[in-house]
Parts: sequence; C-alpha cells; structure tokens
Amino acid sequence: MGHGHHIEIKQETFVIPARAKQFSMIFMVVGLILAGIGIAKIDKSAAGHDEHAKVEAKAEGHESHEAAKGHEEHTAAAEHHTEEHANVMTEKFGPRMEYHTIEHPWQTKIWANLLVAGYFFLMISLASMFWITIQYAANAGWSAAIKRIPEAMSTFIPVGFIVLLISVFIAKNDIYHWAHYEHLGLKPGQEGYDKVLDGKSGFLNSTMFFVFPIVLVTIWMILGRRLRNLSVQEDNGTKGDITFHTKSIRTSAIFAVIFGFTISFMAWFFIMSVDAHWYSTIFGVYNFITHWVTAITIIALLVAYLKSLGYLSIVSNEHIHDLGKFMFAFTIFWAYIWLSQYLLIWYAQIPEEMYYYQIRFEQYKANFLTNLVMNFCLPFALLLMRSAKRNRYVLGIVGTIMILGHYHDVWFMVFPGVFGPGMQVGFLEVGVFMFFAGLFLIWTLTALTKRGLIPVNHPFIEESAHHDVGV
Amino acid sequence: MGILDKKLSLRNRSKMLVGVWEDEDKLVEATSALVHDGIHIHDIYTPYPVHGLERIIGARRSRLARVAFLCGLVGFTLMTTMIWYMYVLDWPVNVGNKPVRFTPSWIPVMFEGTVLCTAYGMGFIFFWRNRLLMGVKNDLLDERQTDDRMVIAIECVDGMNESDVLNTMKSNGAVELRELNHGVQTTI
Repeated sequence: MGHGHHIEIKQETFVIPARAKQFSMIFMVVGLILAGIGIAKIDKSAAGHDEHAKVEAKAEGHESHEAAKGHEEHTAAAEHHTEEHANVMTEKFGPRMEYHTIEHPWQTKIWANLLVAGYFFLMISLASMFWITIQYAANAGWSAAIKRIPEAMSTFIPVGFIVLLISVFIAKNDIYHWAHYEHLGLKPGQEGYDKVLDGKSGFLNSTMFFVFPIVLVTIWMILGRRLRNLSVQEDNGTKGDITFHTKSIRTSAIFAVIFGFTISFMAWFFIMSVDAHWYSTIFGVYNFITHWVTAITIIALLVAYLKSLGYLSIVSNEHIHDLGKFMFAFTIFWAYIWLSQYLLIWYAQIPEEMYYYQIRFEQYKANFLTNLVMNFCLPFALLLMRSAKRNRYVLGIVGTIMILGHYHDVWFMVFPGVFGPGMQVGFLEVGVFMFFAGLFLIWTLTALTKRGLIPVNHPFIEESAHHDVGV
Repeated sequence: MGILDKKLSLRNRSKMLVGVWEDEDKLVEATSALVHDGIHIHDIYTPYPVHGLERIIGARRSRLARVAFLCGLVGFTLMTTMIWYMYVLDWPVNVGNKPVRFTPSWIPVMFEGTVLCTAYGMGFIFFWRNRLLMGVKNDLLDERQTDDRMVIAIECVDGMNESDVLNTMKSNGAVELRELNHGVQTTI
C-alpha cells in the first residue's frame, strides 16, 4: 500500500515488569505448595487399585475380564452386543488386558501428572514454532510484527521435553501397559499372551519409545534454532536485504513438512500408548489441534498483554482481531476433529475402539462434558461476535478457559487410561499446572528480552504495521 | 425490477456526477479530497477491495454477517426438522441397536445443512443486493468497473458547486468524467 498514514517502525526492547516476575513466581510457589498438599493427600497405603488390579490372571478369558470390570454399568442391549463381540475377539486375538497392576500407585500419580504437564507445554511450544513456519511458507505479511512472541514460546521445547522424558523414564512400566507387558516376554500360547500388544511391539517398544522422540525433537530443535538465528541476523543486517528471509522460507518449508508428517508420533508414543489396545487413526491430528489452538490462544494473550504494557506500538486491534479469528476457527476445528473421532467409534461399536470412550463416558461423565463445554461451547458462543474478538478482556477470559480446558483435555486422555475409574482433578493436578504455567510464562518473557521485540528488517514489516481487516 | 431495493438503483436518480479512475492510489487521494471538501459520496464501485476506502467515506459495517447467521439458523432448523421427520416420525430404523432419538449421527447432517445454507444464502443475497444476480438488469456506471476501473458516484444536491467537484476529481487523476441523468450518461 502506497498510501495511508506513515507509521514509524522502531525497535523496542522488552523489560520484564516486576509484577509479571512476582506473578509467575507466586504461581510457581503456590503450585509447588498445592502439589505438596496433593501428594500428602494421596492414599499411600493402597498397594494397587483393586478394581483394576488383577486383570492379568485371565486364563478364563472373558469371565475374569467381565468380573474385573463388573463395576461398569452397561445398558442391557449394549452389554449383550459387547459380550458376544468380546467372545469373538477373545478367540481371535486373545483376551484383552485393560489395566495392569501398578506397582507404585501413588508415585505413578505424580509422574503421570508430570507427563501431562511436560507433554502439554512441549506440544504448545512446538505448535508455536509451527505457527511461525506456516506464516513464512504462506508468505503472510500481517503477522510479521508479532513474530517474536511465538519465537520466544518455542524456546520452551527442551524444558518440556526433559520433564516429559524424566517422567516416562522413571514411571514407564507403571504408566504404560505395553511397557509392563514387554518385560514379561511372553510367547504365543503361553498364559497371558496378548496378540494385540505383541503385534504392535515392532513399533511400541522401549527402544523406539526413547530413540524416535529424541531424534525427532532434536531435528525440530535444530531447525527451530536456525529459524530464530536467521531472525536475529535479519535484525542485525540492512533494510531491504531479503537473503535471510529467503533462507527462513526454505527452513520453514523443511520444518513444516517434517513436522506435519512426524508430530503424530509424539501423540502415539506418549499419550495414545496409555491405551495400548486402542485403535484410532485420527488421534495424532486431534492431539495436534488441541495444542495448536492453545498455542494460538497463548500468542493472542501475550500480544494483548504486551500491548497493554505499551510495547508493540505497530500492533493494533486488527492483529488481535485476526488472532481472535484464529482462536475461533480452530475451536470449531477442534470440535470437528473431536466429533470425527467420537462419531465413527460410536457408530461402529467395535469393542477395541469403544472401551476408550466407554470408561470416559460412564465413569467420568462430568469430565467428558466439561471437556466439550470448555473447549467448544463456551469459546464458540463467546467469540462469535466481531466485537468480542477485538476486545482484550473478552479474549483474556475466553483464552484462560481454553487453556485450562485443553490442559484438562490432555489430563483426560491420560488418567482414565492409566488408573481406571475414580480419578479426579485435585490439588496435585492444579499445583503441577500452576507451577509449569508460571515457569512457561517467565521463560517466555525472559526469551523476549533477549532480542528486539520488533523484527525491524522483516520485508513485510510495513505491511504488518498497516494491517487492516476493514470495517 | 421490483424485487430490488429502489434506493440502490441508479436509474431513478435525477442527477449524478460520475468519475472514473484507473489508479487505486489516486482514487484514494481523490476520495480523501472530496470528503475533506464536505462532499457526500453516494458510493464507490471497485473491482476488488481497496483498503482504507471504507474508513474514508465512513461506510457502515456490512450486514452480511447477520445474513450469514440467519441463513445458518434457517439451515440448522431445516435439517434438524428433516432428519427428525425421517428418522423418528416417518420411518424409524434400527441401525446397530442405536437409539431412535437425537444421536451423534444427526450432527453431520445438521452441520452440513447449516454450512450449505449459509454459503448459498450469503452468496445469493450478496449478489442480489449488488444487482449482479442473474436476470437482474445491472446498472454498471462503467463497462470496466468489474475489471480494472474504479468509479465514484456523487449525487447532486442543492447548494453543491458542481464545477468544484468536477475540478477536484479531475485534478486527482480521474480519467473520465460523466453526468448521469435517469440512467443516461453523458461525457463531460
């Protein structure tokens, strides 16, 4: 655009306000205290949860299987159907093991919480990296001014990954059924042999479980670091020099392709393998979209926050409006993917697909509905109006609901699968989330101080400063 | 054409001044100059959205979003009624022992119906309001206004100095100036 008023583009240096520091410190300390209360409150006497402990002794196949899940209520028709089908399945594949003996039940609760937190924050930092790369790959101009915020968020990748790795390294055999089974080393025909797990063991084994994600995260981190370095070099270069921009586009394209094909592995290894007998082809997409919409929400909230502090002078309500549209659009997309997974499983009524939803719907109805309300119904209704998307306070409230809702979503994917019925969000969950939220916030804000807040030599920075979505 | 809002038709206007531009930037400058002089601009016709114009002439926000919402609501109601009639009232079918009442399998039908009605409704109403619907005689001020030319139309009112307006348009890069009288254009 050659017309319109002139907007001066000048570099800004971010200094973390004392209140933000205090806020995140308080968050972390309160989180630790709450987590401590949560740990103290766990019943440590239980050597294992009776209702799902002894499923492994199952030479009788479906009798003990049914006895173990006797607490679950079915409708008469569904039970009849499921039972018949279960018999067929038992003959065909051997009896299913749903839950295994957890040797360290109360420690496992802590590690599973760390698994959820590490995975959640790793995935949102990866998603923010991906956000930058698609802006480059699509030659998007409007987002140039807010590019530094996802860049700063993506520096959290190693922290989240280390937390995730520690938790699964220590508690792998208790969290993952298949890892427990792997140690038994059963051959076909032996008692307790599980055809499904044996069939998956080529992919789902301890070597792959550690090597694959480490290799993938290393590749993503190298490409992400290169992208961030190019961004700094561009700042230090001269205006009008597009060599770094061209390199960034190339790196972004490589990252986007690799990431698109491999992000599902994270979901398969760390979350889906909790329910190792389960089949769902859309689970990787579902996990990606959960974290993608959360990452966009956090970007929007951080932009609004920096704006309220007086930074990002070239960012206007137009950018915030566009981020609000992103939040709204991907909220609907999340619901679309959620329904796609649920609907097919509901319709087909195949036991080895259905038990994932059976326990979640019958034993965790409140969580099941909360998940839908927090992640779809509320954001959809509240963000529908244009004025809502342009209002920082509305975005702040809806964004907080969405972040909490999606964290709960990840918790909900893991806990019923690991522990069976009877889990609830308590002090430990809230404490762990608060601790990592505080850490993520202070980490991101610190990363923002390391470089200028505005990519002044970005070729599209003028376009971004004049961004206008119209009346 | 009784189906159209009379307000939108340019054929009933007694006298209008029409300027034609080929350059986007000059058009924006001319608009700013005219608005600065206190001239009320009837409308500007451009083949593609020109950023900033709507703010300069103080255009209201389009009501197309509300139309979209209403169309969506109509589609949603229509499809819900349809599937309820088919699936519950008229011919209940036992599919895999699923209940015969509202079930998740209705959702795709309701969703697709909503999207379909929204898209078609928005499209048709947009073209209808812009007199571009098939069968409606359009009144383009310039043959090329849907291609590469931009047109400003100003209604002559009492107390308007017409020669001043024409001069402002001319000095701001208008390639052609015309006068419109009940649908008949004469080059000035």
